[in-house]
Amino acid sequence: MSALGVFSTANLNGGQKLGLKYLIVSLALFGAQILFGLLAGLQFLMPDFLFGVVDFSVNRTLHVNALVVWLLYGFIGGVYFMLEDEAKHPVVGLGLGNLIFWVLTAAVVVVVLVYLLVQVGPGEMSTIWFINEGREYIEAPRWADIGIVVSMLVFFFNVVATFSKGRYTGIAGVLVLDLMALAGLYLAGMTYTPNISMDQFWWWWVIHLWVEATWEVLVGCIMAYMLIETMGVRRKIVETWLYIEVALMFGSGILGLGHHYFWIGTPEYWLTIGGFFSALEPVPLVAMVVHALFDSGVHRMKNSNHPALGWTISQAAGNFFGAGVFGFMHTLPQINLYTHGTQWSASHGHLAFFGAYSTAVIGFFYLAAQKSRGNVWMSGNLPGNGWKWKWGMALLWIGMIGMTMALLIAGYEQSQIERAIEGSTWMGYFAAQGHPWFTQAMNWRQISGYGFLLGYVLLVWDLLTIGKGETRPAEVINSEAH
Amino acid sequence: MSQTAWWASESLWRKSAIWVTGVSFIFLIYLTFDTLPYIKAGGTNVPGFSVINKRIDYQYNEAKHRYLPVIGQDEPLFGKMLTEAEAEALVSKGKLTTQAKNCMECHTLLGNGAYYAPDLTKAWLDPAWGSKETREADMVAFLMNPTDKLHNSIGRRMPNLGITEEEAKATVAFLKWMSAINTMGFPHNFKPLDQSDAPAAVPAATAPAAAAQP
Amino acid sequence: MIVEPVALANFFTVFFSAAMVILTGATYALLFAYSRLRQRPRLMPLAYLAYFGLSVSVYTLAQAANLFNDTFWTFIVGLMLLGYFVAPHGVWHLCVATHDQESVDGHKPHDEGNPSFVRS
Repeated sequence: MSALGVFSTANLNGGQKLGLKYLIVSLALFGAQILFGLLAGLQFLMPDFLFGVVDFSVNRTLHVNALVVWLLYGFIGGVYFMLEDEAKHPVVGLGLGNLIFWVLTAAVVVVVLVYLLVQVGPGEMSTIWFINEGREYIEAPRWADIGIVVSMLVFFFNVVATFSKGRYTGIAGVLVLDLMALAGLYLAGMTYTPNISMDQFWWWWVIHLWVEATWEVLVGCIMAYMLIETMGVRRKIVETWLYIEVALMFGSGILGLGHHYFWIGTPEYWLTIGGFFSALEPVPLVAMVVHALFDSGVHRMKNSNHPALGWTISQAAGNFFGAGVFGFMHTLPQINLYTHGTQWSASHGHLAFFGAYSTAVIGFFYLAAQKSRGNVWMSGNLPGNGWKWKWGMALLWIGMIGMTMALLIAGYEQSQIERAIEGSTWMGYFAAQGHPWFTQAMNWRQISGYGFLLGYVLLVWDLLTIGKGETRPAEVINSEAH
Repeated sequence: MSQTAWWASESLWRKSAIWVTGVSFIFLIYLTFDTLPYIKAGGTNVPGFSVINKRIDYQYNEAKHRYLPVIGQDEPLFGKMLTEAEAEALVSKGKLTTQAKNCMECHTLLGNGAYYAPDLTKAWLDPAWGSKETREADMVAFLMNPTDKLHNSIGRRMPNLGITEEEAKATVAFLKWMSAINTMGFPHNFKPLDQSDAPAAVPAATAPAAAAQP
Repeated sequence: MIVEPVALANFFTVFFSAAMVILTGATYALLFAYSRLRQRPRLMPLAYLAYFGLSVSVYTLAQAANLFNDTFWTFIVGLMLLGYFVAPHGVWHLCVATHDQESVDGHKPHDEGNPSFVRS
């Protein structure tokens, strides 16, 4: 082990070294997501900006694809990071894991370059195979799809083999089943059909069941490890709660798919199923509030990594507001008829993704930063009182809340003017897009976006410098986790 | 050391998690099998591809409390009656074009996609096309060369995506077919283009300007 | 089952009351848990006041979104009232029971104000 406060991969085990690579790419892609989001946002204000060069569709594609990929990289990195600790065994097939990291990253670079430089192709299958599948969030061309599935299978093999040779914990059990579902569900989005209803039916299988079910559980596993690691919560309790969470998340999330099947040609009973689960989905979230408060009361926030804990707490709040409040406001079909396909979805999407996932991955970044400097002190009394992480977090949150509120106002105006009054004609659409409420909201969204970018810059700066020259070792938390 | 209550025990919740997940998933599989006949082309809610040979309208249905597509008399697209297979090939080419040009990252289709450009669910029926006589030709011309056409007063335009005439016609077929899907009343309150056979109410002089609107 | 779209005049009411359902639900859960955790029974009436607020919000939402015009949606309203009421109780008991061992084993990093689970 290298000296305290000095960045060195010698501080890390094999899985952590590989995990760190994924986390670094993840952080970079987070930056790319913000950049292309800002460009797309600017085009709402200045439609001629980059018109015909990098059109809105290209920026938007890169914005949402970067989101999916940086979070996936963060999850994979997080899993590799905790794998050896959890299994008490070196990662099996580490060489293959490393190879796949480089292959996958090269593939991501190629896909991004093709999005940027080639952009669109002729209306033939060759475009679907090599340029762009043209399906929001899963645009990656078919060759890359296959690559992604192969990479996920190798990752899955590494995880299963390592747990099998080492210690097979409760977290391991949940993780393995979840990764299997994650890889399997991706296949549902890999076929072409001329039928748009069929297309969107399976498309939601991937998008919804990834985002509102398997990702939630994956984050649950990573957070469970973090709770044990940074707060010293007993494994038995953490694992019991992981199971409770899985039951609640999958119980409400799997059939919660129904709220995407209101208006795509699917039969009427989906309105019933979607309505039922929409009304009940917030119940687990409300329940979690009780548990979070209980936990913090018991543990008094004593922990070895304050930035990670800060982000973990904001994860709970973000998930609650993003998924709970903003989701429930427009999910009943009686109102969703008007809000579906407006900036309402963008508002909810921004807060929910950031609240539920970005926060968790950022928390993990801090854990990785701590370990890669030799497990240095990251509790209270950081140099400068930890102003960088605090301000970074504050700016990211203020920026996100600003964007969300602006989009909420835009969506509200859109649902009234375009949908209710004008009846969703194109004239109605443009009347709503030109309304002062909408245009001003877009200005505020853009300003908030710049604040968010500033927060990101501080976050990167902090991650690169936190713990540098620190001589105190990490606070020892009374833990029986290991 | 006291024993944890059975209803709070780790093993009970492990089993619960597995059972809840399993049962939910089995329900989902069952519902999927039940739904597929509704959404296959020619199914209960989604028309066969040859519906593009017909007039398609969108009207409020009192009994169902929602707007529904209404399939009317013969009104072949581009004046040519197609067999089911020919229609499928044409619509499929159009669907492929919408994917290849990444339409969904500006527009929404069935309400899903991006929010920079209008929803395409009822593009075929949008009153912005002015009259049903000129609609087909205007749509093709717009798709092939949209940038210089009049769009709206807020300055947003559609870029030239290199759409060929064949692709443009196929896209129009796809849009016509999509407008006939029963989407449970989405969009609500929509006022479609006047397709009655009576002479168009719009004075001829304003028709071209209106047609160039989208 | 009938889905009767919300009237334009009720849009704001729907959005606002839906948000209030979740927010009062969380306030109820927070006050409930805090009152038990810190053994401050005087806070409990406030928790139930929040639940009363939740009931009013659910009722307002149901009116504005035309949920009472249909049996299924009326049933959903009832289920929401019940679900939000019992969830904090249920989860509290679960918290106490799952953390049981922690206190029994003498793992009490905290000094004053032991949560009430010690009594259970």
